Amino acid sequence: MSEFRPILRPVLGTKQTVSSATLKLSPLPEGTIIHVLARPGEEDIVPFLGSLAKAAQHAVRPVSPGHWFIVGEEPMPHQEVKSLFAALEPRATGVDQSHGRVRIRIEGKMASRALSKGTGLDLDPSAFPVGQSAVTLIGHIAAHITRVGSEAFEIIVLRGFAETLWDDLARMSLEFC
Amino acid sequence: MASLVPCPNCGRRPKEEFTIKGAALSRPAPGADAADWFNYVYLRDNPRGTYEEYWHHTSGCRRWLVLTRHTLTHEVAACRDAADGSQLEGGA
Repeated sequence: MSEFRPILRPVLGTKQTVSSATLKLSPLPEGTIIHVLARPGEEDIVPFLGSLAKAAQHAVRPVSPGHWFIVGEEPMPHQEVKSLFAALEPRATGVDQSHGRVRIRIEGKMASRALSKGTGLDLDPSAFPVGQSAVTLIGHIAAHITRVGSEAFEIIVLRGFAETLWDDLARMSLEFC
Repeated sequence: MASLVPCPNCGRRPKEEFTIKGAALSRPAPGADAADWFNYVYLRDNPRGTYEEYWHHTSGCRRWLVLTRHTLTHEVAACRDAADGSQLEGGA
């Protein structure tokens, strides 16, 4: 066992919240992100994931065919993670990404305008309604975007890219602040 | 280039999200002639017309797609997930 304990610090902990009347950019607490990978052929797994997630106040976000993120505000205790992984088997496999990915919230009237500068995704409410998720590029960084409210988006990005993406988003938001 | 690619999983996305692998050819049997394998690995038709290619939606759903693209106009006629329909049209 190492003498040194890793120091865990929120990667966006030192960033200033970008805020104005029309746009607000804020880091979300580094809670829980579980990547769920379904076995091939498991078609109707969404209600099953929903039932597992509801119990613990988590949200299920589609990523791509057969992939989902289960996200939560609070860190999930190790024992709970283990029992969730056990409940997923054999239909799906869970991977704990809580320390590997970071969530950022961007909200306000100008949020979609600011995001549109970086992504080719159609963010119009008719094409991208509340609850919809998509993986896309923001600038050169791959990120997962979910519309969590009519004027609010949640971005999930790899931790190593989080600071760069934050700085990019802050610059994209400058004209609205 | 075909700047908007109709991904069957994600909808229309800019080509920057994709990685192009090359011609989608049907793979010879493992015991096929060396000539067949040489053909499959090295020889390409380079047609002026429709062409089936493997595209990877690297910054999206991360699925391999088979894109039918016109090499002259770059129009995309069809795009399907590579896992759907195992048989490829273009022979080796």
